[in-house]
Amino acid sequence: MELGKIFNSSLIYATFRSATPIIYAALCAAITQQADILNIGTEGIMLIGAFMAVAVSYLTGSWLLGVLVAMVSGLVIAMVMAVGNIKFKSDICAIGMGINMFALAITKFLLNAWLGQSGTFMSPDIKSIPKVHIPGLSSIPIIGNIFNDWYITEWFVIVLIVVLWFVFYKTVWGLRLRAVGRMPMAAQTAGINVNAMKYQAIAISGLVGGLAGAHLSLGYSTMFVENMTSSRGFMGVAAMYFGGAHPVFTAIGCLVFGFTDSIGARLQAYGVPSQLVLMMPYVVTIAVLAISMATKMSAEKKRKSSLVSH
Amino acid sequence: MNTNYVVEMKDIKKSFGSVQAVKNGQFTLRKGEIHSLIGENGAGKSTMMKMLYGMYPFDAGEVKINGKVYESINPKLAIEAGVGMVHQEFMLVNELTVLENIILGFEPKKGLTIDFDAARKMAQSYIDQYDMDVQLDKKISQISVGEAQRVEIIKILARGAEIIILDEPTAVLTPQEARRLFEILNNLKADGKSIVFISHKLNEVMEISDRISCMRQGQYTGTVNKEETSPTELTKMMIGREVFLNIEKKAAHQGDVVLEVNDVWTSGEKEISKIRGISFDVKAGEIVGIAGIDGNGQSELIEAIAGLRKVEKGKVILDGVDITNKTVKQIREAGLTHIPEDRNTRGLNREFTIGENLVEVELDEAPIRKGGIINKAAIAERAEEMIKKFDIRPADGQLPTSSLSGGNAQKVVVAREVNLGGKLLIASQPTRGVDIGAIESIRSILQNVKEEGLGVLLVSAELEEVMSLSDRIIVMHEGKITGRMKADEADEEKLGLLMMGGHNDEEKGEHHE
Amino acid sequence: MNKKKKIDFKSVANVLLPLVLALLVGTVIILCMGENPITAYIALIEGAFKGKLKLGTTLASFTPLLLTTTAFIIAAKAGAFNVGVEGEVFLGGIVAAYIGINWTFLPKPLLLIACFVGAILVAALWAFIPAALRVYYNVSEVCSTILMNSVALYITNYLVSGPMSAGAANAQSDPVTVTLPQIMKPSSLNIGIFIAIIVTLLTIYILNKTSLGMKIRMVGTNPANAEFAGINPKHTFIKAMMISGAIGGIAGAIEILGVHGYFLNNFATGLGTNGMLAALIVKNNIVTAPAIAFFIAVLKSGAMGMQQATSVPKSLVDTITAVFIIFACMELIGNIRKSKKKSDEKKA
Repeated sequence: MELGKIFNSSLIYATFRSATPIIYAALCAAITQQADILNIGTEGIMLIGAFMAVAVSYLTGSWLLGVLVAMVSGLVIAMVMAVGNIKFKSDICAIGMGINMFALAITKFLLNAWLGQSGTFMSPDIKSIPKVHIPGLSSIPIIGNIFNDWYITEWFVIVLIVVLWFVFYKTVWGLRLRAVGRMPMAAQTAGINVNAMKYQAIAISGLVGGLAGAHLSLGYSTMFVENMTSSRGFMGVAAMYFGGAHPVFTAIGCLVFGFTDSIGARLQAYGVPSQLVLMMPYVVTIAVLAISMATKMSAEKKRKSSLVSH
Repeated sequence: MNTNYVVEMKDIKKSFGSVQAVKNGQFTLRKGEIHSLIGENGAGKSTMMKMLYGMYPFDAGEVKINGKVYESINPKLAIEAGVGMVHQEFMLVNELTVLENIILGFEPKKGLTIDFDAARKMAQSYIDQYDMDVQLDKKISQISVGEAQRVEIIKILARGAEIIILDEPTAVLTPQEARRLFEILNNLKADGKSIVFISHKLNEVMEISDRISCMRQGQYTGTVNKEETSPTELTKMMIGREVFLNIEKKAAHQGDVVLEVNDVWTSGEKEISKIRGISFDVKAGEIVGIAGIDGNGQSELIEAIAGLRKVEKGKVILDGVDITNKTVKQIREAGLTHIPEDRNTRGLNREFTIGENLVEVELDEAPIRKGGIINKAAIAERAEEMIKKFDIRPADGQLPTSSLSGGNAQKVVVAREVNLGGKLLIASQPTRGVDIGAIESIRSILQNVKEEGLGVLLVSAELEEVMSLSDRIIVMHEGKITGRMKADEADEEKLGLLMMGGHNDEEKGEHHE
Repeated sequence: MNKKKKIDFKSVANVLLPLVLALLVGTVIILCMGENPITAYIALIEGAFKGKLKLGTTLASFTPLLLTTTAFIIAAKAGAFNVGVEGEVFLGGIVAAYIGINWTFLPKPLLLIACFVGAILVAALWAFIPAALRVYYNVSEVCSTILMNSVALYITNYLVSGPMSAGAANAQSDPVTVTLPQIMKPSSLNIGIFIAIIVTLLTIYILNKTSLGMKIRMVGTNPANAEFAGINPKHTFIKAMMISGAIGGIAGAIEILGVHGYFLNNFATGLGTNGMLAALIVKNNIVTAPAIAFFIAVLKSGAMGMQQATSVPKSLVDTITAVFIIFACMELIGNIRKSKKKSDEKKA
């Protein structure tokens, strides 16, 4: 095994590339988490977004339209979850899993009944998200190769991380959202409409989730495969826990998974059985989640301890 | 006829499901007056004011604020109408700072962001004007209860409240802090503000009010001017009869030490409630009362003794047996019984029946358990016995405890724990949220337990309760003991000072760092 | 106890109304496809019941579903959302296969029992992991079990494509040397259905009659009070999850030993998930859940028939089922009446 072939500069981009769909999913979950709503349906929203993006791009030839329809679809599905949870008091895990199962079923059905395909759908008519090619960048050693030819949505995810950080911690809406998430009674008695805030958070989350799917099927790859999200939505939720719903820390968590994924792909070339490689991101996610929660617990314990003075 | 009413509430009705919280609500508030609203727990006074503030819709009746009729109210409308409310449980977000909590909902803006500089200036002006001690950059989790209350007051003043409602504000204050609050309230009154003061503490009500209105079991029973009434008269209005809450205290026949708490240190939810080196004992046949403002570590101390929180240093010994950090089951088997301060989360499982709650500590023993199976007949028998003995209503062991009133739910908890016998009974806020009838019976039950030779450790935020029940009194402040004395040596002044941190001379030698 | 035995009309309506709505959605989709919904639904029912083969297949589908539903519910009663039943079924299957193939030194009846015991132990241990992570480190078991399902799947995929493979081209293992007797041939119905029914009845008994069951229910509704009363909520949670895993393992063992006779790659896809579905629809009522589990077995079984008779694909049935559960989560009857009452009161 040549370590040099596994660990080289292209690994950096590979990590980021692999992580991006998960970062989108994690940000989708983080938005609702600030309002103390666990968006278990992220996986389903993402899958529906992925399908709609491919379908619309295929039928209209426009990637942009595909992305936009994907985002709107995410919004619609998220609103179903919102109405169910807020107005009808459904358990968020129950309705979230319902959404996930629905997404799996409806995408399979539509792939079949509408597009006449099954399993994997590839076609030259699917227009993918364009890459950003910066002329002259390739001539800069190492850095040039890492940062050139990124998909638009890969650049956008960085913008989104910054925007969300700003919104959560610097704006009025963000302050109110965090109050709603931590003590809704305080927000209510301050005159804030708690339910309206929750609906808004879920709606925005739906848009981001749809975008996550669109990037997955038109950027990260250019195809639709049944169940192509492969639990990336759940990894995003795990990363969200890891980062405490903070956009920057959450994104870092996703990079860890992207790293594992990319290493795994390289290891496969050396004869490591494919299933073991495919398993790695999941195992790493669970491990990182466990470690981060354990660390948080122990920090909390220390803060409350009488043996330490502040 | 003075018709300068800023608030008029007429013929108000409100039900929560099948429970009618307010059957006939009437209330008026004149400009510039302090009007107290009294009644026992569950009388409907809190509910009336919460409806005025728009937290619940009212089912029927008319509400007028400053002469304008309101069909429905929500907090936003109430705030716009100049109404502000300081709640019993503070509406403050722990993870945010004092400043962020003050501006929540009315944030000053600078372009897209919050203008924290303007916010700071505004908050500081109120702090200076009313001479309140408040630190703007601390997180709510780091400040004391008294300070949190001041933050609540600034919150409502900053929104331009002219009508200020305070719901049981002195429940969390020492007598001295309560006097400080009254100074602030009188300043506000002089400024032209109109104040509603909800309380069940009649001597305070007599001190601060101009007029006093009373509610009993959801009905309005009348309004009097302060000069024309007295605490006895007020009590009659509240319950319809005279009540002697101060039961004759039976003498203690002190036996051996039954509980020894030795230099105990435990974690705390807030910095001031961490226990750092507490030692005391309780003897058989006596009631030891811990006095102190809620949040100074009493909860943590009790949890540590009962096995619900880790003891980080020190020892707890029950009748000679070391129970430090043992499991709850082992501690109970060693003879500890416990009436917890939160009956709904800790004391009862609301989904389960009265009978099941009465036996929940004995699920692994006969006769409740026979060969792994739950003996339902035994549970029914126990339920019948306890319901009769403790007068629990309604008298149906199959009812879920969620359908019980506060007083009856507490009786279930008391019945269960007292029936277990044991060596030490911990009673934590035993009469909180309970109607007067049940208060009487629970207090006399505690006396009986002492007579039977158990040790009783009482924790109560009601000074009057600690003084009337205890044989010995310990005062706690910020996780330490600031004073100990025999009950007959104690008075409100002395205890109040100790509750605020002033030290008894005897205690100086016992302080640990 | 009389109050609990009365039929709760509100609960029944809260299951029937969502079902009707879901079928309506399905009807609309079928119409959009240009097919006749009545023909389609009839084909569905016939596909599930007409003839010994079809009926047998439906009952054979019901067997693991009954178990996975029960498995999900007992964990739910302790407050656990065990999505990991799916993984536990897979692992139960692979362990039963391994023992069934390799431990031939045991006489047949003992070998059969050993297969089940092995499946139970490994599946229970698999459930222990997310349970422990939740009680000791506060890791959401929803997240961890979903991720562990993928791990379990890959482990079995690896084993059956590699060390346990029957041949390079086959994604299955060698045949097991002992199987569960089949009834109602030519369908794959076997005596496993009786095992499933007994296990379910046993679980209902444990939950409602025993001390352990009461503790599980107390921890699931109020862990603070349970702790206060001397019950250890952490231990109880873990026990419930492990029992849940064990039941999932039994389902896997039955599929391998009764239906297939060898370990077939991906044999259990959807079994755990559908069990969870049935449980959520009845809000974890362990007595009514089997009826819904049977209903879902009918749907899945009949879907093939519907696909053959009309051009309506199987995935439509999955869609209808998912819509069913989404509507069932919302307590439509209760909440619609509540808001109507509020507006009536305002008018008064």
